Amino acid sequence: MSETSCREIEPHLLASAMGEAGPDAVERVRVHVAGCPECREELVRYRAVDSMVDTLRRTPGPADDATLARAQLTSRLADLRSRLVTFGIFPSPLGPLLIGRSEMGVAVVEYLPASGSLTPHARRLLGEEAVEDRAATDGLRAELLEYLEGRRVRLAWPLDPRRMRSDFQRRVLEATAALPYGAVTSYAGIAARIGAPSAVRPVAQALRWNPLPIVIPCHRVIGNDGDLTGYAGKRVELKQRLLAVEGIQALPAGRHDFKVHRESMYTLMNGEVEYCLPTCGSLAERPISELTLFGTRERAEAAGFAPCSSCRPDLHPLPA
Amino acid sequence: MQSSVFSQAGTSGVSLGRVMAEDAFEAVVGAHHAEIRRYLLRVTARASDADDLSQETFLRAFRAYRALPPGANVRAWLFTIATNLGRNHFRAQSRRRRAYAAVALESPAGAPERADGRVLADEVRTRVEQVIGGLPEKQRLAFIMRKMHELDYAEIGSSLCCSEESARAHVFQALRKIRKGLDGQLSAGTEPGS
Repeated sequence: MSETSCREIEPHLLASAMGEAGPDAVERVRVHVAGCPECREELVRYRAVDSMVDTLRRTPGPADDATLARAQLTSRLADLRSRLVTFGIFPSPLGPLLIGRSEMGVAVVEYLPASGSLTPHARRLLGEEAVEDRAATDGLRAELLEYLEGRRVRLAWPLDPRRMRSDFQRRVLEATAALPYGAVTSYAGIAARIGAPSAVRPVAQALRWNPLPIVIPCHRVIGNDGDLTGYAGKRVELKQRLLAVEGIQALPAGRHDFKVHRESMYTLMNGEVEYCLPTCGSLAERPISELTLFGTRERAEAAGFAPCSSCRPDLHPLPA
Repeated sequence: MQSSVFSQAGTSGVSLGRVMAEDAFEAVVGAHHAEIRRYLLRVTARASDADDLSQETFLRAFRAYRALPPGANVRAWLFTIATNLGRNHFRAQSRRRRAYAAVALESPAGAPERADGRVLADEVRTRVEQVIGGLPEKQRLAFIMRKMHELDYAEIGSSLCCSEESARAHVFQALRKIRKGLDGQLSAGTEPGS
């Protein structure tokens, strides 16, 4: 054992000084330094270094206070959290859909192109603070699919309004969100509801940029003549399908549009508590903006309205 | 303004809860931020850099946290992020030289108390820091992780993208250089005895 050369013993000597050597190595070092004064001195020096370094480790430095950095970190994390959107992409009867949520609530729903690379598309849409996390959106996905299959009439989700572009748009979307399931009104109707009856085009623009389609049911807003007019770019057929799920028939009108025929809709004069046949009183002459049109009696009654006591839609239902 | 659209939330089957296991991340910050900052202070020798980089470490960690497998060694993972940030910092800014020139300015006037009550001579402390500061990057980082933060060699290896053996070799090499750098001072009565 004592024949171990100084060169061979050196790494063990270091390990030993640092307290990292195994029992065998410690013994070899012990035996070696017993007969080698130079290495003994070297061991002492390394132990001194180790002890000095240990003291450095245990001595608080002059700039060791992390309080400020921690406080800044807390605030930056809060900011990051509030901007962070987690999203999931999933197939639906209406094609691939994206749902994104923040800590405030659901922030965005988007129809994605039927093909191509969807995740980069989603990132372009959502910005850099977006994280794909299917699990985090899975509950939302399940409810939305139930909704699209007609098995759910309400998406009672907390919403994050920060992707809405203006206070005006928020008012428009708020009025739109108040439209009952299974009912439609016109753009002018929404304009009237928010107290800006001449702002029909701005209302249409605000709905065009609805960050939360389906959830905020802009598909329930149609033209004054009953035409669906537009949806999700040029995908008005999606609007027709969403309305069909809710029991509202829109029939093809022209090459690219569909039309809701008001003479086949149960009709509510806004502000009234009873719904009517479309021919009741002067209803047929009223613009759609003053009305809410229901596809079925069930929907009108589920929304809290009673059948009119003079035209009696309950006794004389419209032909199905 | 909280409008009715946003208060319509009723008793939905979906529990939105919070976006992620934020409380879990709060706990990570609480458990490790001070140490990561101390590590970065040793690495950069500047309090302002340590502040910035320690925050950046945790902001990055927050973004990537959900992808971390359960049971992962969070502390070692944070050291890896901090190490990469520290290295990028030096590479991009080539600040290292200036940083170490500043050590003397940031050192305290008085002699620091040792934990055991004795006083480590100011000049020796400064000298040790200087020698550590003058080490090649990987040796310095490996040495600080091993001796100041007691990470094991496997953890140091993954932080530095090298093998466990290389990590150990870096630490040993660092120790040899420090020992040489302190020649003279060690025999000048500072040795604590064995």
